[in-house]
Amino acid sequence: MIPLITNSTNQPAVILRGVAKRFAAVQAVRHLDLEVARGSLVGLLGPNGAGKSTAIRMIMSLIRQDSGELRVLGGDALDAKDRIGYLPEERGLYKRMRVGEFLIYLGRLKGLPRQGLTSRVESWLERIELPGVFRSRCQELSKGMQQKVQFIGAVLHEPDLIVLDEPFSGLDPVNARILISAVQDLHREGRTIFLSTHQMAQAEQLCERVVLINRGEKILDSSIQEVSQRFSPRAVEIEPLPGINIDLRALEAITGIESVKTADDGRTTVLLINERTDPHTVMSHALAAVPCRRIEIARVSLDDVFVRLVTEHGGHARQPARGAA
Amino acid sequence: MIDKNKSSGFRFSRISTIAIREFRHTVLTKGFIFGAILFPLVMFVVIGVMPFLISNDEVPVRGTIVVADSDGSVARAIEKAFDLYKKPKNPEKNSPAAAISDALKKNQSGDLDALDGLTDITTTVEVSVRSISIDADLAATRDQVQSGELLALIEIPAVLLAADPPADADISLLVPSNSPAKTTALFTRVARRATVAARVERTGNDFAKAMALVRQPQAQTARLTSTGAKASENLQLRFMIPGGFMMLMWIAAFTSANQLLTTTIEEKSSKVIEVLLSATSPLELLAGKILGQGFVSLLMLSTYGAAGIAGLAFLTMLDIVPLSSLILFFFWFLLAYFMVAAIMAAVGSAVSDLREAQSLVQPAMIVMMIPLLLWLPISENPTGWLATITSFVPPIGPFVMVLRTTGAVEPIPLWQIAAALAVNAFSTIALVWIASRVFRIGVLMQGKPPTPLELLRWARAR
Repeated sequence: MIPLITNSTNQPAVILRGVAKRFAAVQAVRHLDLEVARGSLVGLLGPNGAGKSTAIRMIMSLIRQDSGELRVLGGDALDAKDRIGYLPEERGLYKRMRVGEFLIYLGRLKGLPRQGLTSRVESWLERIELPGVFRSRCQELSKGMQQKVQFIGAVLHEPDLIVLDEPFSGLDPVNARILISAVQDLHREGRTIFLSTHQMAQAEQLCERVVLINRGEKILDSSIQEVSQRFSPRAVEIEPLPGINIDLRALEAITGIESVKTADDGRTTVLLINERTDPHTVMSHALAAVPCRRIEIARVSLDDVFVRLVTEHGGHARQPARGAA
Repeated sequence: MIDKNKSSGFRFSRISTIAIREFRHTVLTKGFIFGAILFPLVMFVVIGVMPFLISNDEVPVRGTIVVADSDGSVARAIEKAFDLYKKPKNPEKNSPAAAISDALKKNQSGDLDALDGLTDITTTVEVSVRSISIDADLAATRDQVQSGELLALIEIPAVLLAADPPADADISLLVPSNSPAKTTALFTRVARRATVAARVERTGNDFAKAMALVRQPQAQTARLTSTGAKASENLQLRFMIPGGFMMLMWIAAFTSANQLLTTTIEEKSSKVIEVLLSATSPLELLAGKILGQGFVSLLMLSTYGAAGIAGLAFLTMLDIVPLSSLILFFFWFLLAYFMVAAIMAAVGSAVSDLREAQSLVQPAMIVMMIPLLLWLPISENPTGWLATITSFVPPIGPFVMVLRTTGAVEPIPLWQIAAALAVNAFSTIALVWIASRVFRIGVLMQGKPPTPLELLRWARAR
């Protein structure tokens, strides 16, 4: 893969300021502010119907925002189509077209020269483990294989900005891992990647930054580290050695402990710590008090943050009754 | 790598890429290859080769026939008639194409028997006639016919030669069981004619003179145009040629426009449209699709048109379609196609499946059926008020103008042609513009199909 020629400008790849979109009675996106720095890998998270796909379609200039400002690669996405790769949420291929022909067609539309295009397609098919399908008709492929073909269509022209709407949904773990690896490679090459997902584990694994929206509104915009810190449960988890009974009183006596409880699995004991105490100090005291098989500072999962924030902001969004695809 | 500095706005390369795909994926299908290419090709081959097949397949009529009549007069008349079938010395004039062309021209100018004798003209006829009395014993002769030794036995009852023959008296024709139908028909025609000739001769008159006396003259109709020129009247051609052109244009335009509707719906329902729109603008996509199907339409027009023109050239009747009509026809076709295609593309973008499309296409189809209904009245009077007014009514104007320009005896006023071109060209641009407005919104819409009011709102949306 040829490394990306970095654009001299430091302007973010995507800027949304106060963007709003309504479909009939449904406010799909409301006053959305968002920036995606060049070269970053940002995840757009949210429950079904939160407005992720609408936001992405506005970024792609597939639909126009009702209000607000939107800039992609310094201008309108319409003027930079050749520099953007897009995998829509709803996958589509020409069923009777051959895979190679379809990808060459997309490459040509994206401005790639005819020369070398076939070998480029073949190379990508190899890379995402689809060898030998160049001459197969799209309808002969499984759903997962079709999704991988579409992924190639989005990245074949080596775009500066790659926008992926739910890229891993419907894929089995093996194929999901192949695509995740390809996304990571593209990111390492310096390309800006903006992906939407509702699979928190994958977002956690991939993204440098996450933006969470619910009911068309942004409710979180932070780096993964910031999310960990901000939503840290401030707790230490202890799993004692087999046959050892934990002396709860000894643990409660450690300075800075607010409470001690047993986790749902019945094996782990959780020490909740107050704001002023360093968890590492608590860990050393706990280790002295109880022979442990495992002791660690509890981590927040993106799943927990997601559920907590979405619940706080009024639960799941409604699906629009009619609107843009 | 893509040139990062190159503007990726409206680009013709994208339009041509889309057009080429659209063209290839329509043309390279079995249905299209058979219907639009092979069928006219086969038609052309059949028209071109048939006369040669007929002439090569001809069974020469060689041998003897026996004519049994009361006084030998019919036998003599039959012998005389067969002399007429001797081949002319100039072989070119006797070529199948020349014979067919000559017979068609005679038929068009009112000689309704001209086509009947067509096969005789191209067949070798060398028949000798033996005369015997009708009262003789014919059993041996019948045996000779049965064995194929004789070509036929023609029995002419004496009453048939009377001045007032009874209505129920018939000629008897006996032929071998394997006698070709063409040969039998020839003998029948000759025997009937010879019987009448003999009957006339018996009255003391000359048959040829009598035939000349009773022959009804042809009426050559001509129309005096406003310029005082005489334009020949050919009723069949006056209706058939404009109708043929109009139907050709109608079929070519609608087949491709319908394909445009289907592929747009297919792209929308298979969700590939969003992938395409991430690479092109809706206007580029629409332009590419319309152009691609336009080339499909032109290919159909070319194959069918070429077959038709080749047929006319083969029959040396090319002069009935002037070059100016063909050139104008091309422009009318372009206008008609773009109008119909714009309507179909807009409808295709607004609906999710063919069933939904029906409700929106039907009103348009009713309008587009009007040229078919106007075919006869406009061909009858191409310069009348109905023809003049409908020439300026889109989207039927181009179809009406084709009927007028290919069928008018009197030239259509130049200003009407120019004005119709201008009005219909403007309407085409307006329709394509409206279609592009509807298309850019429609292709991304899902759910129930829009009402006509919603379509108007889409067309006006920013």
